Amino acid sequence: MRILLDNFTKSFGKLTVIDQMNLEIHDGEMIALLGGSGCGKSTTLFAICGIHKVNGGRILFGDKDVTNITSQERNVGVVFQSFALYPHMTVEQNIGFPLKLRKEPVEQIKRKVHEIAEMVHIEVLLHRRPGELSGGQQQRVALARALVRRPDVLLLDEPLANLDATLRLEMRSEIRRIQQETGITAVLVTHDQVEAMSMCDRIAIMDEGKIVQITEPRDMYVNPVSDFVAGFLGSPPIAFLEGRIEDGKFVEPSTGVHMPLSADVATANNGREVRVGIRPEYFQPGNGAMIKGRVSFIEAQGRETLYNVMLPDGNILRSIQGSHSPVKIGDDVEWGVDTAHILIFGQDGLRI
Amino acid sequence: MGNSKHLGLYMLAPAFLFVIVFFLTPVLLTGVFGFTNMSTATGITGGSYMVSQSSMQALKDRHDLSEIAKKLSQVIYTIDEEGLNAAAQEGVDAGTLAELKAGFLGQSFQKRRAVERAIKSLDNRPSSTRAIKKLSALFERSVLNIRYDTEVDLFAAIDKFGLPLSVAEKTAMSDVTYTGWVFTTDNFKRMISLPDTMTTLINTLFYVFVTLIVFNTGFALVLAISTHYMDAASAGFFRSVWLLPRITPPVLYVLMWKWLAWDTGFLSTVLGPLGFEPRNWMLDTPANAWTFIILINGMVGASMGMLIFSSAIKAIPSSLFYASEVDGANRMQQVRHIILPQLRFPILFITSYQTLSLLTSFEYILLATEGGPGGATEVWALTTYLKALSNYAGALEYGYGAALALVLVVVGVFLSILYLKLFDFKTLTAPPKIE
Ligand SMILES: Nc1ncnc2c1ncn2[C@@H]1O[C@H](COP(=O)(O)OP(=O)(O)O)[C@@H](O)[C@H]1O
Ligand SMILES: [Mg+2]
Repeated sequence: MRILLDNFTKSFGKLTVIDQMNLEIHDGEMIALLGGSGCGKSTTLFAICGIHKVNGGRILFGDKDVTNITSQERNVGVVFQSFALYPHMTVEQNIGFPLKLRKEPVEQIKRKVHEIAEMVHIEVLLHRRPGELSGGQQQRVALARALVRRPDVLLLDEPLANLDATLRLEMRSEIRRIQQETGITAVLVTHDQVEAMSMCDRIAIMDEGKIVQITEPRDMYVNPVSDFVAGFLGSPPIAFLEGRIEDGKFVEPSTGVHMPLSADVATANNGREVRVGIRPEYFQPGNGAMIKGRVSFIEAQGRETLYNVMLPDGNILRSIQGSHSPVKIGDDVEWGVDTAHILIFGQDGLRI
Repeated sequence: MGNSKHLGLYMLAPAFLFVIVFFLTPVLLTGVFGFTNMSTATGITGGSYMVSQSSMQALKDRHDLSEIAKKLSQVIYTIDEEGLNAAAQEGVDAGTLAELKAGFLGQSFQKRRAVERAIKSLDNRPSSTRAIKKLSALFERSVLNIRYDTEVDLFAAIDKFGLPLSVAEKTAMSDVTYTGWVFTTDNFKRMISLPDTMTTLINTLFYVFVTLIVFNTGFALVLAISTHYMDAASAGFFRSVWLLPRITPPVLYVLMWKWLAWDTGFLSTVLGPLGFEPRNWMLDTPANAWTFIILINGMVGASMGMLIFSSAIKAIPSSLFYASEVDGANRMQQVRHIILPQLRFPILFITSYQTLSLLTSFEYILLATEGGPGGATEVWALTTYLKALSNYAGALEYGYGAALALVLVVVGVFLSILYLKLFDFKTLTAPPKIE
């Protein structure tokens, strides 16, 4: 079901956490609310499910205004960061709880619980209590409980944050699989850009209670609207150089680094102070604009290797390379920047 | 390492000492005293032997020696050396005495008149009737109401009284005439046979369970849950209000209730214009007395449960409340499915703790009704106190009181063990199954 936040505002006392947010989540889509800690992601989520009352604006499920409807009546499924399983109930009772509250017949509850348990692969755990489950299993139970009554929207608050690395990878694809199988509209709150990029159809990236950009993961990666977005997405992260546009080129005064820019950008902004963002995959041996530096750090990531290259003025550029080169820490290198893919931002942080 | 192992013991030693001095010793002493007949009459040190109305009654009742009892209760007159010497001292004519000795030495008379007759029959008899009476008085012999330090003295006296006793009779005699305390199981027999005991028992059960269920647990739960759903400021206010009775000195607190109930107090004043006779509402009827007793105790008792339950509810992660909300649970359902199950152990704890403390506490009842009207609100602990330590007549029955207290101790220990089993501390302290 489509979800619409229309000028949604939320404050706690004097602190306005979300100010006039607009967000439309399409039917059947999985969207990520991505942002740093404390930017208001959970607040937004809790407003959608009705745990928090909003201070302004409207929330629509489909065409129905649910702004003043209690969470009990909203038909949302929520997976909490801590899973929030009821410790005194068995897995079966946990999953069946929403149905039991609706006074569905016992047989029907049993059937639905078994169906959903099968879907999230926890049929054999139904008689255990949450305390007897591993983190990943608890996660699946929480997911099952959120899904069992076919909610209009599935809300996930940092669902993977409490899992270890391998489980996180496994649950990432599991959650996505289940979301696609059910075709449910879903909102994933996360501070992890990899999760957001790998699991969702679109990402809404948030900063201080505002949505900075909302688009598909690939597009957000390639066309960030600001240096904030560019910095948030990508691992290892993008590196920035400060400088000025002079005569069709980007020039960094202290090191004399200069890179040719496309003509229309260069002419329109001649003489302007800018920041240039260079992603690690576009700083490689053999590329166009050469930059000299010294290797200050090497991280072998297995398939790829990450190099930090320190420029004479102390700025760091990152390079990720597939083939293992014999370069060692302390070596002087001269690698090139693929200038077709550099991102140029003004002093205000906005993309030029 | 070896030293540090002992260090713990040393550090615990003061605690052990406290336990021994302030807990074990009283319990042991209660156990000992419960099997004695100590009372104000017997004293708590040793006693003496005395033939008295009551001991003779006992001799008749318990040992079926009514003949002896009857004789010992009487006064007889025996012409003996002792009497003759005493008469000589008094200045009675030596001739008279010599004649008396020659004629009657060793003879006993049951009646005063008989001795007087004997004296009158002497040739050298005193001239006045008064002198005769005075002389005869010197031969008056009785063992009644004389304390003898040992039983040997007692038997000697009885011998002299002219009533030689057999061995069995002596045993019976020393049993009934001993005025000090002895070890006995009579307290428990008496407890079982007295109808009052059953009344007290029923009173106690009623008092403990009604107060416990209605207030100490039930109302405490209501308070804790309702304040949970309030905003922080009002919740704090409400909790403080319910703590007031707890921190009011009991005497003052009960006095306020008494003022409320007196025939010139609040209730009577307010209800007077509505046509109700002014009366002491608290002591009017047993039902009223119970109502007040339970209210008085409950208002105080609810606060502890409220605090424990409140903090237990606070300890429930808020995400559980959120989760249940989105799962569709209204408040009643939250209380039933989330809060109450999570409060299982606090409830069990309060129930057991408060059973024990209600069982042994009687101060509010003592202050409010003193067990009245007519013993209607007398509970076990109060009876114990009244029997052993405070009696209108001043006749305190330490032994019986201790026996009553011993029953409380045994019940208390039994309940404690039962509750510990219920709590199942092993599973409570078991390592969590999730790492
Ligand atoms: N119940 C609350 N009362 C007061 N402030 C809150 C409350 N919940 C969240 N906040 C504040 O709102 C801001 C956003 O919080 P939140 O939405 O939880 O951030 P996140 O994006 O990490 O999920 C934070 O500054 C936080 O301190
Ligand atoms: Mg959060």
